[in-house]
Amino acid sequence: MSNEAALIEAARSGSAAAFTELVSAYREGLLRFLLTRSSNFADAEDALQDTLINAYRYLHSYDARWRFSTWLYRIAINNAARQKTVDTVELGDLSDDSDDPLRQCIAASERENLWLSARRSLTNEVYAAMWLRYVEDMSIKDISAVLEKSVSWTKVNLMRGRKTLDAEFNKVATDEKSKAYG
Amino acid sequence: MDKLAKQLRDDAHRIKCSVSEELDDRIRASLEGVQPEAGQRLRRESRSSSFWWASSLTGVVAAIVAIAFINWQVPASGPDSTESNPQPLAIPTIQWHTETAVLTSPLEQEFEDLQADLKKAEEAVKQDIDRLF
Repeated sequence: MSNEAALIEAARSGSAAAFTELVSAYREGLLRFLLTRSSNFADAEDALQDTLINAYRYLHSYDARWRFSTWLYRIAINNAARQKTVDTVELGDLSDDSDDPLRQCIAASERENLWLSARRSLTNEVYAAMWLRYVEDMSIKDISAVLEKSVSWTKVNLMRGRKTLDAEFNKVATDEKSKAYG
Repeated sequence: MDKLAKQLRDDAHRIKCSVSEELDDRIRASLEGVQPEAGQRLRRESRSSSFWWASSLTGVVAAIVAIAFINWQVPASGPDSTESNPQPLAIPTIQWHTETAVLTSPLEQEFEDLQADLKKAEEAVKQDIDRLF
């Protein structure tokens, strides 16, 4: 039995310490992802807390055929979506930069962070698919399970997302070149 | 890894955030107050089995009491079967006279009309094709 499987078993039988250890490797990644989907930092933290509590409470429903991170992200996305219906804030509506938690957490750089462009130009689901693919290294099958979409939907939308971001990326590169040459 | 994928990964890592100690404490405290559902379900199951036995026993006792009560009451209040001698009811016979409806002729007419329309349309298309090419 792997260490993760042993921790899951211990957590299932009511060990909060085992669960804390189990999720310690995923917490920062989840918070980073939730930050990109929340209207402020406190909401992202609340969403992380709800995600972990729900995961602990319903750990019996976790199917070991899937990666544990796949299951955690499914819960996180549900929590973020629920929070959004309460707050009614869309990703693209974050016009005030000072409140935008993603902007606050991005290190100052000359070039715009591609995830900011992604948030502006992609829908929530395509954005999530792109994040899971390129940051979390998830397989197409896992992404479709997290987003509850078909494999073909995931493939098509990842391709569309890539195309959109590729255009943004190339545009930035061209702008930088033209600036350099005056 | 292609350029875009690398850039996306690098940019994700440029999002600086960490779980603060305060949040960590909050999460730990919340987890202490929560019990995984499976444990709760087991307790519920053990409780429900004793409830099942108790309710079954109550049901059986109630059924026995009801049967005993009905048996005790039937001879006293039951109708005297020798007094009433009901007459057999006369069942009226219904004469079913029906005629076969002739429904085929309007449909046939419609079918012929449709075929004629189809021929006309076919000719019109042929003419158009001849004119174009």
